Amino acid sequence: MSPCNDKIEAMLEKVQKAPRYTGGEMNAVHKDWDSVALHYGFCFPDTYEVGMSHLGMKILYGLVNREPDQVCERFFMPWTDMKALMEEEGIPLFSVESRHALSEFDMIGFTLQYEMSYTNILAMMRLGGVTVLSRERGEREPVVVAGGPCAFNPEPLADFIDAFMIGDGEEVTLLVTAAVRDWKKSGAPRSELLKTLARIEGVYVPALYDVACDDAGRILSVTPNCPEAPARVKKCVVTDLNTAYYPRSFPVPYTEVVFDRIMLEIMRGCTRGCRFCQAGMLYRPVRERSLETLRSLAKDLERATGYEEMSLSSLSSGDYTCLPELIRALMKDLEKERVSISLPSLRIDSVLKESLEETQKMRKTSLTFAPEAGTQRLRDVINKGVTEQDLMEKVTDAFSCGWNAVKLYFMIGLPTETYEDLDGIVDLARKVVGCYFAVPKDKRARGLRVTVSASSFVPKPVTPFQWYGQDTQESLKAKQQYLKEKFRSVKGVNFNYHTPELSYLEACFSRGDRRLGRVLLAAVDRGCILDGWSDLFSFETWMQAFADAGLDPDSFAYREFGRDEIMPWEHIDSGIDRSFLLREYDRAQEARVTRDCRLGCNGCGLQKWKGVCGYANAGHV
Amino acid sequence: MRMLATFEKSERLRHIGHLDIMRAMQRALRRSGLPVSYSKGFNPHILLTFASALSVGAAGEREILEATLDEAVAPEDFVAAMNGALPPEMQLSSARIVDDRRPAAMAMVKAADYRIRVTDASAAETLCAALPGFLAQGEIVTDRKTKSGIKPTDIRPLILSAEMDGDTLRARLTATEAVSCKPGMLMNALSAFAGIEVPRVMVTRERLLGENEDGQLLPLEAV
Repeated sequence: MSPCNDKIEAMLEKVQKAPRYTGGEMNAVHKDWDSVALHYGFCFPDTYEVGMSHLGMKILYGLVNREPDQVCERFFMPWTDMKALMEEEGIPLFSVESRHALSEFDMIGFTLQYEMSYTNILAMMRLGGVTVLSRERGEREPVVVAGGPCAFNPEPLADFIDAFMIGDGEEVTLLVTAAVRDWKKSGAPRSELLKTLARIEGVYVPALYDVACDDAGRILSVTPNCPEAPARVKKCVVTDLNTAYYPRSFPVPYTEVVFDRIMLEIMRGCTRGCRFCQAGMLYRPVRERSLETLRSLAKDLERATGYEEMSLSSLSSGDYTCLPELIRALMKDLEKERVSISLPSLRIDSVLKESLEETQKMRKTSLTFAPEAGTQRLRDVINKGVTEQDLMEKVTDAFSCGWNAVKLYFMIGLPTETYEDLDGIVDLARKVVGCYFAVPKDKRARGLRVTVSASSFVPKPVTPFQWYGQDTQESLKAKQQYLKEKFRSVKGVNFNYHTPELSYLEACFSRGDRRLGRVLLAAVDRGCILDGWSDLFSFETWMQAFADAGLDPDSFAYREFGRDEIMPWEHIDSGIDRSFLLREYDRAQEARVTRDCRLGCNGCGLQKWKGVCGYANAGHV
Repeated sequence: MRMLATFEKSERLRHIGHLDIMRAMQRALRRSGLPVSYSKGFNPHILLTFASALSVGAAGEREILEATLDEAVAPEDFVAAMNGALPPEMQLSSARIVDDRRPAAMAMVKAADYRIRVTDASAAETLCAALPGFLAQGEIVTDRKTKSGIKPTDIRPLILSAEMDGDTLRARLTATEAVSCKPGMLMNALSAFAGIEVPRVMVTRERLLGENEDGQLLPLEAV
């Protein structure tokens, strides 16, 4: 335990939710500090409850700790009360397991799940005694790495991160930890390590690239400044999930966290090709775990965690090839243990009534459907291949199987949207209510609850909509008010919407470039942390931070990229061809639907990575 | 079959609340592979009770649980299976089979032994000096938090014994389902008597006590 232990114990008496910081969970890994050659601090840039719900962390934690000469310990962003006490008492950010300071680790890694956690990354480094700017970091300070979906546009964090890992982390993580371990032993200068890392496929070292841009911030070129750095960094793809590492045990928190259950990743990737969806592009190609692998994992995870609930997770679980068989098998295997199985991201056009009937045997949580847009025209624009009829059939099935709570997710501010599309949202919700009342009284559960959520569209890199600017805040606010008014007259529907300011900043950072590093620093200096928490988010402070940096946020969020313009993330190769994205952009303008890849290859680019995509070159474009 | 066992809630876990420890123990029972019994009904849960809830902020050395099993299990096998399924912070130290007709452990608790370490040395000295006079009082009225609000209560009869041992106050306090004195109440009253602010303390409940036929207090697991 750390020499600061007494002080830490005293602080824990004073803070809210002390269990966030105390550790000691079942399956947490404790290794003798001096017996391992590499200490890896895995940092989740948000609170414990959020971080402990994250599947990626569980995978990488288990993966690194399986190596006998390495240890992986966890770090989370402390809440404001704890952070203030730590600063007052001079206690550095410490790991959950051994309470070693962040700066004592050889390598620290941040997972980039959403843009609004970026300030937490800087704040955690500061609190942990790690130099925030990569170029100023001392020779023997921790090597700072990052990965996750937002790493596909790493540029806003280029000033702070030594190396990004792009794509699936199961293989590249161990190549990087081994390189850092060997470098530490060799005593070679830090600059050598960066070059070594750049040679690993899937690793992007921003310091090894020069970015030239014009006065308006348009990128003219991104060029490697040393021979070790590839012109484009190709993402890592785990080709077979059955042989890829998956944990058979993970830490079980004492306090309830956001997702407090076994998460069984049944597949990775999605073949649907929704044009707004970044995950749908980044996680391509689709790879499934076999029934046998999943049954074995489920059994072991149940044994190791004791959880009473399991969720099947993926981008589109309803598309899993043999979903009904899987659910039947898991229910049978875990019947004695009384594990309830939930399907989180149900897609309305894929779940069979049969599987609905099977899940209800266990538990009836609310069902979520995501039509995303209110009219068929706009659904065609975004390539959400879902019709009104599909939705009505699925909710009718759900209501007649005894569900009474339905959530409907929509986006506003989508490209080409008009007020007719907004009326469509209201109309669709009204029809869902109608479906409920059409089910005979004795067949439906009482107390209908329909929740309609409207989030604001954020254009994301590596999507066909990456060229679009975001809808203006004024326009989004007007649309929210319009919907709020309209929903007033619809009984049984609860309407929610998100503050557009947060989506606006997300838009700034999602497609931003290296200049934004200055804004991040200024924002953290001004005290912006935990921005994803509405009670702490201060839009005014962020606007001041942009002013400090001399940058106009509108020029990021509302920016329309030219068709031939070099994107700030152009040197990151996601595997998706630019020509495919442009083709999809054009088809969106014409409201033309593109088929699901399983029905025939659409030539997104992954087909040229031999053997990676099972649907490559199936059929013709 | 009913199994009574003693377990530790380590200092590291002292901020974990009673319900969370309870859930962690239920999950450990599930992990253990032991033939645990579930309640009947629509939402079956594991049949597990604790003899006494331990406050947030306190560690416990010999806390007591009772679990119901569908099949006979030897106590040593119960301990071994559970310890394999529990983190080092929550290990079992003993177990015994108890008769089905015996009252629930919860109803048998009479008192508890506490070790209250005062982290500030000068406060410890002041309290040590004040203790004899404090205990000599005929009544000690202090606030007790109840569901219906704060109630002034005389805790003198509830303090069965108390003595300072260096920086540590050792106290035996009444703890029944009907009435109990928490270490916090004792510290509040003692600090007020000594004229100092309540110091920061580390509370450890050493054991729970029950009564034998002669009215003698014994560790509950031995009654």
